[in-house]
Amino acid sequence: MKADLNKFPELNKTKFENRGKELRLGIPVINSVVIGNSIAVGFGDGTIRIFKAGQSSEPIKAHNGIVLCISKDGDDIITGGDDGRFLRISLNGEISEIANFGSRWVDHVTANNGSLVCTSGNNVYLWMAGRKEPKILEHESTIGGVAFDSKGRRLAVSRYGGVTLWKKDYSNKWKSSNLLWKGSHNKVIFSPDDRYLVTSMQENQLHFWRLKDKTDSTMSGYGAKVKSFAFVHDTKFLVTSGSNDAVCWPFDGIGPEGRQPICLPFVGNKLVTFVEPFPNENAIFTGLSDGSVFLSEIEKSSNTIIIRSFTESEVTTISVTEDGSSILIGDMAGNILWTSIWDEENK
Amino acid sequence: MDSNKQVPVTVLTGFLGAGKTTLLNRILTEQHGKKYAVIVNEFGEQGIDNDLVVDADEEVFEMNNGCICCTVRGDLIRILSGLMKRADKLDAIIVETTGLADPAPVAQTFFVDQDVADRTKLDAIVTVADAVHLSSQLTDHHEAEEQIAFADVVLLNKIDLVDESGLEAVKERIRKINPFAKIINTTKCGVSLNEILNLDAFSLKRVLEVEPDFLESDHDHEHDDDVTSLSFVSDTPLDMEKFQDWFSKLLQTKGQDILRTKGILDFTGESDRYVFQGVHMLMDASPMGKWPEGKVRSSRLVFIGRNLENMNLKEGFENCKSA
Repeated sequence: MKADLNKFPELNKTKFENRGKELRLGIPVINSVVIGNSIAVGFGDGTIRIFKAGQSSEPIKAHNGIVLCISKDGDDIITGGDDGRFLRISLNGEISEIANFGSRWVDHVTANNGSLVCTSGNNVYLWMAGRKEPKILEHESTIGGVAFDSKGRRLAVSRYGGVTLWKKDYSNKWKSSNLLWKGSHNKVIFSPDDRYLVTSMQENQLHFWRLKDKTDSTMSGYGAKVKSFAFVHDTKFLVTSGSNDAVCWPFDGIGPEGRQPICLPFVGNKLVTFVEPFPNENAIFTGLSDGSVFLSEIEKSSNTIIIRSFTESEVTTISVTEDGSSILIGDMAGNILWTSIWDEENK
Repeated sequence: MDSNKQVPVTVLTGFLGAGKTTLLNRILTEQHGKKYAVIVNEFGEQGIDNDLVVDADEEVFEMNNGCICCTVRGDLIRILSGLMKRADKLDAIIVETTGLADPAPVAQTFFVDQDVADRTKLDAIVTVADAVHLSSQLTDHHEAEEQIAFADVVLLNKIDLVDESGLEAVKERIRKINPFAKIINTTKCGVSLNEILNLDAFSLKRVLEVEPDFLESDHDHEHDDDVTSLSFVSDTPLDMEKFQDWFSKLLQTKGQDILRTKGILDFTGESDRYVFQGVHMLMDASPMGKWPEGKVRSSRLVFIGRNLENMNLKEGFENCKSA
C-alpha cells in the first residue's frame, strides 16, 4: 500500500476545518482582498476566485500567467499580472482591461477615493477620477510597493533608497517629497490614523517614518524578510511576520521607539509568514510556514486558539470578512480553507 | 532545502555580438518539451523564441548591511520570486545579461536573498566570448575581465575567424584570468547543451571535482588592475583558528578585489574535508565528508581577482600551517 502524499491526515482537524469548506487546488495562492463580506483570491495560474457566503467559487481566468497583485476599487476587484495587464473585475466576474503594458509586469495595484493606481517597472500610472488617460509618476528605481493614505490625498511609493511621497494639492496637482533610508524598500503602508508610514526592506527589517516631523527608525531582529505586516485596532499595534513569533510593535502614544514589542509565540518554532488583524478586536490571525493558522489576543498571549492545522505549505494569505464572521486562508500549495469564525450558538 | 525542488538558473554573459542570443535560441529550440523562463535585459538583442520572456532592468542594489561590495540584482529578486509563484513548474531559468554587466551582483543574489536561495539555485555562469575580439575587449573593459573571471564555462565562439596561434593566445589569456573555467571552442555556438546546462557549478560538491590548471604566480601582466589568479597547495595540515582569522580578515579588507575563491582544506584534528567557494565577501562553506582513503590529504586554495600580489597571500597561507 502506498501513502497518498497529496492528502494530509484527516485526524485532528479543527472545528473550523470541520465546519468550513476546504479546497485542494494545487495552484499557489498569491493574495486575497476583502470586499464587504466577499473575498477575492488571486492564483499563480492567472485565475481568481470569489468566495461569498453559501456559494461555490468558480475560477475566473483573468491573467495569462500569474495574478501578481490584487486589491479593490470600491466594490470592484483590481488585479495586475505578469501578462502586463491591469484589470478591473466585478464581484459578478465581469472583466474589463484598464491598461496593458505588454511584456512589462504589473507589480502593484491600489485605489482610493476615485484614484486608481498600478505600477510597472519604475513608473506609477495614476488615473484620477473621471480621467481616461493616466498620469505617469516616474521614479529612479523599480517600485517595491504603493499605498494611499486614508483620504487618498497622499500616495507613498517605496523604492530603492526610501519612499517617494506624492501629495495632491488643492489644485489637484501631485507633488513629491522624499523620505530617505538606505537600502531597498518593498511593501509600504500608512497607519490607519495616517501618522506613520512603514516599509519592509530587502534586509530582514522594517523602517518607519513619523510623518509630522519626518523622524524615522528601524525595527529589526527578524530571522527572515518581513513580507506581511498590518496595523491592528486603529493604530495601537503593528503586527509583523518574519520571525518565529508574531511580533507586535506598540504604535500608540509615543510610538515604538525605545519600547519592546510584544512577541506572540507558537508551538513548533515555525516561521510566521502571514499576519492579519481581526477587525475591531485587539487580536490577530497568524499563519505559519507549515500552513497552520492561530488566533491570538495580543496582550494575553495565553489566549491563543488554533484555526487551521498544518498543511506543510506556507500560509500566503488570510482574509476576514468585514463583519468578522468568516475567514479565508490560502497557502503556497493551493490549499484553501473558507470557514465561519463563530460557533452557531455565539452568533 | 531539497535541491531537487530548486529551479536551476543559468546566467549567460558576454559582450554584445559574441553570440548570446544565438546560444539562447539554440537552448530554447533544442530542449523540446522543457519549460524555460528567459530573463532578458531591455537593451539586449531581439528575437528570442520563447513563450516566457521577462524584461529585466539590471538594477543593482547595495545591501544595507555594512558590506560595501555586497550588491544584488533587485530586479532578479523580484522576477525570480514572481516566477516561483507560477502554477506550472519551470525546468530552468536563463538570465541573459548585457555585455557591460558585472556578474558579481547576479551571483551574490543567490547567496543573499533567502527566498531566491530556497526556490532556485545558480547552476552556472556561462560566458560567450568572441575569439576575434576578446583580447581587445579584455584590455579595454573591466567588465569583460569580470565576465571571464566569474565564468564556469567560457564558450569561445567564432573560432573559424582566427588562426591557430591567435586561438592559443586568447585561450592562454582566459586561463590566466580563470583557471577553473572550462573553455569550449565553437563556431556559431555549436555546443552540446549538456556542457552548459545542469552543471551545478556552484555546489560545494562540484568544487571537489574541479582540478584547476595550477599556474605559477604570474608577474608579467600589463596593468596592475588586471584580473589574475593565484593558487596554493599544502600537504601540511592547517590550523583552523589561524585560517579563519586570516581568511575572514582578508575578505573583509580585500573582498572588493577578490572576485572568486574556491578551496578544499585539511585542518589538523579534523577527519572531514572542508570545502568552500565564495564571491567577493560572500562564502558558502561546509565539511564534505571524509578524505578518500589512500589519497594524500592536502589543502588547495585558489583566488581570482585584482592586485592579488599585494595581499601577501602566500605568507598568510603559510602562517596558517599547523606548527
